Amino acid sequence: MSANRWLATGNYYSSYKEEQRIFSTHSDRLIFTLFLLSLFIWPLFLDLSSKYMLVIDNILVAIIAVLGLNLLTGFAGLISIGHAAFVGVGAYTVASFSTVIGDNHVFLTHWWPLVILIAGLVGAVFGAFVGLPSFRLRHLYLLMATLSFQIIFQWAINFSSFFNQGQTIFVPRVYWLTGKVMRKEHYLFWYYVILVVIVLFGFGIRNLLRTRHGRCLVAVRDNDRAADAMGMHPGLTKVYAFALSGFLAGVAGALHAYLYRGVGFESFTLHHSIVYLAMAIVGGMGTLNGSFWGPAAIQILELQVENLAEKAGHLFPSNMNLATALRPLTFGLVIVLFLMFEPRGIANWWRIVRSYVKLWPFRY
Amino acid sequence: MPLLTVTDVTLTFGGLNALSHVSMTFEEGLITSIIGPNGAGKTSLLNCISGFYHPTRGDITFGEHDLSLAYFSPHQVSVLGIARAFQNLELFSGMSVLDNLLLARHQNLKYNLLQALVYFGKASRIEAENRAYVEEVIDFMELEPYRHKIVGNLSYGVQKRVEVARALTLGPKLLLLDEPMAGMNIEEKEDMVRFIGDIQQERDITVALIEHDLGIVMDISDQIYVLDFGELIGSGTPEEVANNPKVIEAYIGEE
Repeated sequence: MSANRWLATGNYYSSYKEEQRIFSTHSDRLIFTLFLLSLFIWPLFLDLSSKYMLVIDNILVAIIAVLGLNLLTGFAGLISIGHAAFVGVGAYTVASFSTVIGDNHVFLTHWWPLVILIAGLVGAVFGAFVGLPSFRLRHLYLLMATLSFQIIFQWAINFSSFFNQGQTIFVPRVYWLTGKVMRKEHYLFWYYVILVVIVLFGFGIRNLLRTRHGRCLVAVRDNDRAADAMGMHPGLTKVYAFALSGFLAGVAGALHAYLYRGVGFESFTLHHSIVYLAMAIVGGMGTLNGSFWGPAAIQILELQVENLAEKAGHLFPSNMNLATALRPLTFGLVIVLFLMFEPRGIANWWRIVRSYVKLWPFRY
Repeated sequence: MPLLTVTDVTLTFGGLNALSHVSMTFEEGLITSIIGPNGAGKTSLLNCISGFYHPTRGDITFGEHDLSLAYFSPHQVSVLGIARAFQNLELFSGMSVLDNLLLARHQNLKYNLLQALVYFGKASRIEAENRAYVEEVIDFMELEPYRHKIVGNLSYGVQKRVEVARALTLGPKLLLLDEPMAGMNIEEKEDMVRFIGDIQQERDITVALIEHDLGIVMDISDQIYVLDFGELIGSGTPEEVANNPKVIEAYIGEE
């Protein structure tokens, strides 16, 4: 290894193990660690109102879901517009437990990490099942298969009394080491839980992408004929991609259920599927950090538009109904603009910034 | 000793005979070429061997396996030790050269999903071992400058070389090359000929070659088969084939 491991310049590797590292320089790792640390300690100094804490929690849940979608659509190239349904599968797994064993059962209140894991696995099973058509179908036709799952999901929830016809099913408060998590610390508690989950999944996926289990996803995206000739079963690989994506969506759904302390069908509609897809596009398809940028950008944008609509409502006559029109309008505009001018998403800006500062203090 | 034997293979699509009663042997350690005009069925034959098609009749014997069975799909054939470089570039164009080659090691990376998620110990060690294997192929095919480049951005000649390198990375006994020199300039062709010679002599890999440049085929082949309209019209050493009246007729027409 070269003498200075703090700068990216003048660095070279002397073993393959060294090149496997996630952080190529010490400074990269230090900055990342500090960033992560700041995510954990800022709530100690800043007391946000529940409203904004909920927005942040929402962003984090969406990040987990979009991580799954990005694996499926960005890396494996399988477009899905049924992702909200997979998230819903996870949420309704928790809801089913709540209905069957009672909403104050110890299993739901004390063993909630296990419940979340089970919700993820159920999501994976559903994902694999919905992924089965990918043995034969591609592109738009596969998209129809995922769309049909979304529709079937909505119907199944709306018309079965077991799921309370889509009305809210109550999910209990959970217990932690310090006792029951009460209203005051509810959002903060789940902020930490979801953050830990994201860190675990983030590193897991980062690792996955530099092994055979991640590379095979990109292989079936780029060329499934060649993937076949290189010794991987293209169909099974696609089903595995669906299962992986379903797992992440399921976990996101379970967290959503616990966070809102209830499950209702209106959080998992086709609209939400498209929003997830938009988040993946705006963040950057086929990049890991894009899954973090996208949800943050879209959610913050939504918040700003809401504020703007409220202000505009005072200026314009109310029969113009600006507030309702403004949201879908900006939303659609942002997607179109990104597709036109930055199809690689915010992740590409990040890449440019990084390559710019990488060579510091030299210019090239 | 024949490594691969094709016996009386017929391949029909509807009423069309893509191959009719074709028999060939690929001797171990030699370069065997298949030539013929466009549409003669050369690539179809390769597709039959590598499992993309299954012949309507006939046997393809590789060791104790009969590859003509519907059971053998391409990913299973590749495990047996038959690697394939495609005629039209079929690379993973969004990935780096290194990742393309590492993908060919897919079946040799023996760790499970959990070990991959943790990427500590076993997975990391196996990755490093296979990286060393890949680097050896990169060195052999002289791809060092392109190691971290995205394949889709490379020039055509280099992409062809990556294609051959990727097939080599599978560690095959038999290498099927489908027009590895198509569309190349004279220098690139000379390089590729040198690589093919090295593959045969240094790495002891049997080569099956489809090529249109007859000069090169005559120079490097040990055995040549000539196909025309799905039928075998000639075979033998380069001299025998060059003097075969049927072959001359197929290529230049009757006098």
